[in-house]
Amino acid sequence: MSLRRQPSEEQLLAYTAGTLSFPEAIVVATHLSLRPETRAWTELATAVGGAVLEDQAPSPIDAGVRDDLLSRLDAPAAPQAAARPPTADAALPAPLDRFALGPWRWLGPGVQVRDVLGTKVGDCRVILLKIASGQSTPLHTHQGVELTCVIDGAYETHDGVFARGDFEDADPNVTHQPRVVSKEPCLCVAALDGQIRLPGMLGRLLAPFVRL
Amino acid sequence: MHATRALSVRSGDRHAVTPSRALDHLVTQVAADRDRTAFVALFDHYAPRVKALLIRGGASPSAAEELAQETMLAVWRKAHLFDPARASAAAWIFTIARNLRIDSLRRGSPSLYDLDLNLGAEDPAQPDAILSGVQDAAQVRAAMRSLNADQAQAIEMAFFQEQTHTEISQALGVPLGTIKARIRFGMMKLRVFIERDKGGAA
Repeated sequence: MSLRRQPSEEQLLAYTAGTLSFPEAIVVATHLSLRPETRAWTELATAVGGAVLEDQAPSPIDAGVRDDLLSRLDAPAAPQAAARPPTADAALPAPLDRFALGPWRWLGPGVQVRDVLGTKVGDCRVILLKIASGQSTPLHTHQGVELTCVIDGAYETHDGVFARGDFEDADPNVTHQPRVVSKEPCLCVAALDGQIRLPGMLGRLLAPFVRL
Repeated sequence: MHATRALSVRSGDRHAVTPSRALDHLVTQVAADRDRTAFVALFDHYAPRVKALLIRGGASPSAAEELAQETMLAVWRKAHLFDPARASAAAWIFTIARNLRIDSLRRGSPSLYDLDLNLGAEDPAQPDAILSGVQDAAQVRAAMRSLNADQAQAIEMAFFQEQTHTEISQALGVPLGTIKARIRFGMMKLRVFIERDKGGAA
């Protein structure tokens, strides 16, 4: 019953309540689309949401408001949301498949990154990372949130192997250098808060040029 | 018939055994027959609660009322997606209200949560993911009452604040780790309660 490579109970509750920040919610939603068994928790949280709604002391609504709505019931619905933006990638799992994407950028040997556009809240935003087989991600932040969900391939940390659908909530106090152990490149979605630092000589050389 | 049911629902106090299945039935009637009487009963029960929930979440009364109206309009239009085997009417309507609130806050962003709304209709082939029992609203409320006060409070507050944990922690003057632990143990307890209660039934 305990959660392994899944968001925590409180992250799943906040996601379901709609109070998790947007970038974090995107990574959780990606995990949910790849690992449907986690939905047992979001269904529980949704049921709790229903109970919370049911227990609200009603806030009165004028009868005229109801009559107005009744008169609009059969009006045609407004057109549905816009089509997928041209830079979106339909092959990505939901919900990433509907977001416009920035261009791939080189970040170091075997490491590429692209922005998931329109996801930023404060300093927190969503990126896609593609790391070649055998490479380490030469990056970590030392601030705030760092949530990751594996979309393809696998990487290994001190905590074991993370494969498709696995979710990691990295401790910002621990230097994070996962190594890709799959033959194919590892594609991940991540929510990051604050600037990523590239450690070592490479980081010092690139710092003036590479801003994530 | 519908009207009587709706009346008995309206007058019930929060600890009465709610005829929650009657509310579920009202949604299926709206779906099957475009039944306006059933819809009015749903509106009278849920719209003021949706409005109250949104106000507690920080919306102004006028914005909350408008979103409550939009929520009920979506109930009318999407009633065919409601699956009483997967969720209670309350949970389903909560989901709609949540989605509309997030969409109104992030106008223009793609929707994250529409999958949840359509799950019952489009994805019946995920039985593993269904936690049996969560569709019974009365049982879920009974499970909530089995929690200790701290756990119930931490879980309820998660519904009302953005950046939940930190703000709850500040509001209650309790360390962040304690809030997370209360939510974690509360959620696990709810799951055990619901699964055990459902175990012999069905």
